[in-house]
Amino acid sequence: MTATEHRAAAADAANRTITLRVNGREVSRTVETRTTLADFLRDDLDLVSVHLGCEHGVCGCCTILLDGESVRSCLMLAVQARGHEIETVESLSADQNALHPIQEAFAEEQGLQCGFCTPAMVLRCKEIIEDGKARTDDEVRHEISGILCRCTGYQNIVNAVQNASRKLGGKEAGA
Amino acid sequence: MTTTQDPVVGSSGKPAAGYKYIGADRKRVEDPRLLVGRGGYIADMKMQGLLHAAILRSPVPHARIDSIDTSSAERIPGVVAVLTGEDCKAHMNPCMNFGPPTIAQYPIAVDKVRYVGEAVAVVVAESRYIAEDGVDALDVEFSDLPLVSDPKAALEPGAAPLHDEHGSNLAYERTFEFGDIAAAMEEADLVVSDTLHWGRSAGMPMETSGAIARPGNNGVLEVYCNSLNFSYLQFLVAGALRIPSNKLKMQPVAAGGSFGSKFTAHKVPTLTAFLALRTGRPVSYIEDRLDHLMNSDHHASDRYYEARMGLTADGMITGLDIDVLDDYGAYLQFGTGTHGNALSQLTGPYRFRNARYSLRAALTNKCQQGAYRGFGSEVHNWVLERLVDQAAKKLGLAPEDIRRRNFILPEEFPYKIPGGNLYDSGNYPAVLDKALGMIDLEHWRKEKARLREEEGRYIGIGLATTQERSVFSSTEFWFWSDEPAFPITSSPESATITIDPAGAFQLQLHCQAMWGNSPETVATTVLAEEFGVEPDTVNVSYADTSRALPGTGPGGSRFTVMVAGAVRGASRKLKKKLIDIAAHSLEVSADDLELVDGRVQVVGAPERSLGIPELAGSAYFFALSLPPGMASGLEESHTYDHPYTTLPAADRSDLGVFYPIMGHACHIAVMEVDPDTGQTSFLDYVAVHDAGTVVNPKSLGGHVTGGAAQGLGSTLYEELAYDAEGQFKSSTFLDYLIPTANEVPPFRIGHVETPSPYTEFGIKGGGEGGRMVTPSVVSSAIDDALAEYGMHIQQLPVKPADIVETVQNARVDE
Amino acid sequence: MKPPRFQYRDPDTLADAVALKARHRSDALILAGGQSLMPMLNMRLAAPAVVIDINGVTDLQQITRNGGVVEIGACVRQSTLETDPLIREAVPLLARAVPHIGHIENRHRGTVGGSLAHADASAELPCTAVVSDAVVVVQGQNGRREIPASSFFDGFMTNACADDELVVAVRYPVTPAGAGTAFVEVARRAGDFALAAAGVIAEVDGDGRFTRLAVGVAGVASVPLRATDVEQELLGRPVDPATIDAAAERVEAAVTTGDDIHATSAYRKHLAATVVSRAVLAAAADARNGGNR
Repeated sequence: MTATEHRAAAADAANRTITLRVNGREVSRTVETRTTLADFLRDDLDLVSVHLGCEHGVCGCCTILLDGESVRSCLMLAVQARGHEIETVESLSADQNALHPIQEAFAEEQGLQCGFCTPAMVLRCKEIIEDGKARTDDEVRHEISGILCRCTGYQNIVNAVQNASRKLGGKEAGA
Repeated sequence: MTTTQDPVVGSSGKPAAGYKYIGADRKRVEDPRLLVGRGGYIADMKMQGLLHAAILRSPVPHARIDSIDTSSAERIPGVVAVLTGEDCKAHMNPCMNFGPPTIAQYPIAVDKVRYVGEAVAVVVAESRYIAEDGVDALDVEFSDLPLVSDPKAALEPGAAPLHDEHGSNLAYERTFEFGDIAAAMEEADLVVSDTLHWGRSAGMPMETSGAIARPGNNGVLEVYCNSLNFSYLQFLVAGALRIPSNKLKMQPVAAGGSFGSKFTAHKVPTLTAFLALRTGRPVSYIEDRLDHLMNSDHHASDRYYEARMGLTADGMITGLDIDVLDDYGAYLQFGTGTHGNALSQLTGPYRFRNARYSLRAALTNKCQQGAYRGFGSEVHNWVLERLVDQAAKKLGLAPEDIRRRNFILPEEFPYKIPGGNLYDSGNYPAVLDKALGMIDLEHWRKEKARLREEEGRYIGIGLATTQERSVFSSTEFWFWSDEPAFPITSSPESATITIDPAGAFQLQLHCQAMWGNSPETVATTVLAEEFGVEPDTVNVSYADTSRALPGTGPGGSRFTVMVAGAVRGASRKLKKKLIDIAAHSLEVSADDLELVDGRVQVVGAPERSLGIPELAGSAYFFALSLPPGMASGLEESHTYDHPYTTLPAADRSDLGVFYPIMGHACHIAVMEVDPDTGQTSFLDYVAVHDAGTVVNPKSLGGHVTGGAAQGLGSTLYEELAYDAEGQFKSSTFLDYLIPTANEVPPFRIGHVETPSPYTEFGIKGGGEGGRMVTPSVVSSAIDDALAEYGMHIQQLPVKPADIVETVQNARVDE
Repeated sequence: MKPPRFQYRDPDTLADAVALKARHRSDALILAGGQSLMPMLNMRLAAPAVVIDINGVTDLQQITRNGGVVEIGACVRQSTLETDPLIREAVPLLARAVPHIGHIENRHRGTVGGSLAHADASAELPCTAVVSDAVVVVQGQNGRREIPASSFFDGFMTNACADDELVVAVRYPVTPAGAGTAFVEVARRAGDFALAAAGVIAEVDGDGRFTRLAVGVAGVASVPLRATDVEQELLGRPVDPATIDAAAERVEAAVTTGDDIHATSAYRKHLAATVVSRAVLAAAADARNGGNR
């Protein structure tokens, strides 16, 4: 192998072209293989709703839905998302003037203050409601405990999940 | 357990009497953009050619930097520059500093490192990934210096000084005595005393600190950052950078939470600005969580107390004697302001007149200290309430009884406390009564006995109060010194209201941009009250420092009060102009006009009126239709100064009025403790707050629950720990334990409203009280649950191991 | 906190994965769920030359039952164990233990093999493997080896894999009909690593005496422990809280984890006895209620 070929091979190894679906649309990009999924979504796709709070998988602010399941996007490489379906909060609504019922429920209950954990909480709320797992306030608390909120003390988030559940026709939780 | 929002006294979901918007549970105007993930945080900003910085942080607590080999890092493709303390020494002045000038700090360590995590070198590169590759390639040689880890040992003769120029590790020492403490203890029938340690935690917002600096046009350096308190920062940062203040433009950027951690957080923007100046290119430095945990701008209070309280046999407090040794860490950047907050509510809600407060601030090889929700007053309140609890137990008084009999009474306000600060208004018995009305204590007291007897369970009941000082005056920054370098007395806030030619409202604030509080909701609510326009139709923006009017920014629960004053002041000026234009057009006297629901109308003849769009059209485009001498346009600004502050006495026998807008709270918690695992849980929790006139009950409730959750963190979970070797032990979120929704109980919230006589609308600050009382009430409840084992919490955080150790020791003694 | 440079390899087949591991040996790390490796990469506590991503190897994603043994592929997600009917019925201890692993967002990605290979003594899955006498199946260039859990975890955060091997599956014996199981964990916060946890499988006869007992303890030593002293003490004895409490104290001697910022060693000793006692009692109660049948 010539030196030139060597360099080309090394470059190929460092980069990879991936195709995936994000918020319902197919996207294809070339990424450095060490790029985290969170950075890929933020930097390459401008989905800055994916917030980096700790980058070691504890705070949950970078939570996204991968094939419908909540995962920490800081703990995946972008290349690992190839062929998968990703949802960020923009998949509910990216229009401030036309919020999704879950987003509306968070607004009504003031289930947010600084907004940094909010996209993650909203996505987790969607998953909880779709799973139909959480009914009581205590169950909701347990189900959202993988995402840290430093502002609200969680009560208004619990109220927002319950409100959203009612809006989407789920059973009244805690009843 | 279900949670109910207790009706708000005077404003249960509906506006307070006489107001249309203030006091109503309205949606926040900030929320739509946050809910779609467009909060506009610093890390969301993109810029052509932006470089990224990463920092090598010291692995050792105290050492001389012998050499830094940057050559390998500089050879990495994409690395643009490597800067060290040598560059700082050569090209900048020390950072802004409210402490002694002999304790200088640069954003990168110069010559020595003084704590694990201090910046040693910075790599600037084309991406953060490459910058970190560069950090990995740096090679630093250190010569260890003697470790100074324990604050008591730090003050011993022979301890290695952290700062040679300062001489010793005693950064500051002062004793204030108000009244006669010796006589107070002499006349007391009972003197209780305690040795207490409040451990380090921090605001720890989900978003770290960050800045982007860009060399702009005309030689102006633009700095975008999420630090608070621009009016203090800007000219001091310019001074550190050795550039004229008018060549540094700081643009506030929304913050993802602060809780004190971004309060005057100067090192991140100063460093980033320095990197941009040195490289001549736009540079971003966003702390990662490791940066923030071990270094951040500051950790919070870390204090050791010897405290005494004297009481008469019937439970009346005669005096309070506080000796506090503060483990300040390696630098004294904010001086001792966190103790000024303690002095603002030195005697709590109680009526006694004798108090002594003795402070020593020690320098140690730890991260420097700064603000965290409560700003040091929460620590003092914990000490005060620990002593009151102990006295109640010894005197056989119920916790509510001993407090009630010492309360300052509603008719005694305004009330000047020992030390000179003044409490504006309050109704402490009403707050206590409301809390007691929301929870059946007699039931729980019986249940506690029954569960112990029948099920072997350990239930504890805690009750505690706090004062919640709000609206600081900047005199508190310097009254500690007899000859202050800069005895500032201003702490204003400003607002600019513009009605555009189409009649739409622009509101510009002159402070930090949205930090998690609700500045836009509050400001637009006040504007709505004044003009009758819907709050969410008002566009809010934030001035950069090239345009900003005098301001102070959030901190010390001042913002709601201050921005309400500023917006109301600007509104009055602008309303006058609207009315003058209308009077001229309608050919009536201005005295006969009023502004109702967005229209200027003749009193008693509302059909004769002009709408704001029509008046705006005149103001902008029809100068000949305006009253003679009136200039075109519709814009007014107002700067609202602190509503009530006075100078300290020259001899400091009286510290003046510096924190007079005084809220109050009472929390009651029922907890269960497992004596064999040390785990705790809540069976009920009631929190009643009086923050004066409530602007938005749901928002205030959110601040109470959020603050209480943080108080719970400082009490049971969160610790920024250093080991005996000075190594930092809490460098990830696996070790720094922020409460999750599992740990935080449902709080049942109640509000009492005792308006302030000094502020617009009677509003008081309410941003911090939640955190200021939880440590006391949780300590009290755990002690009560395990009283039979002699549980007595003296150190926070109290961990499961501490609880089990107490129980096991008591069992062995049996 | 960004990963360092590494070569990324994503084999489609187990054979390719094994060949890559054999070629790069200790220079290569296996990326499965990433819940442990990714934080280490982001913090640059790990700097492998090669990362072998095995998520594309479909052979490793199966749960199968062969008679008295349930084999779980290394890449089966932890969250699957919570809901999988076969696991709930055949290895109920797993279904009880898994919800204690981190939070659901971690378990959606985290894998069974990843947790075992990471060999954290305070983690739940290694504890269940030791209690259950599970067998870890590893594969290298010379073929497969079956390593009993008791010898797989051979030191602090280390396992018995050779540097050309990777974990491909774990085999759990099917829990006997009528056996009771329990998993009791104490952590600073729910979802944190255990300060101490105990997993128990118990069988109780008609007279209310223990006829079989397996007790495992996590979080108190460099490896997950079997509390054999406790097991022997209680075998044949009646299910009685005082008896169990007294026997549980025998575990304290095995606690070797020293003081850290979350717990003292003395506390961990008491806690180990407490969780063992509670788990034994709970497993006995479960057995009396018929266990998983």
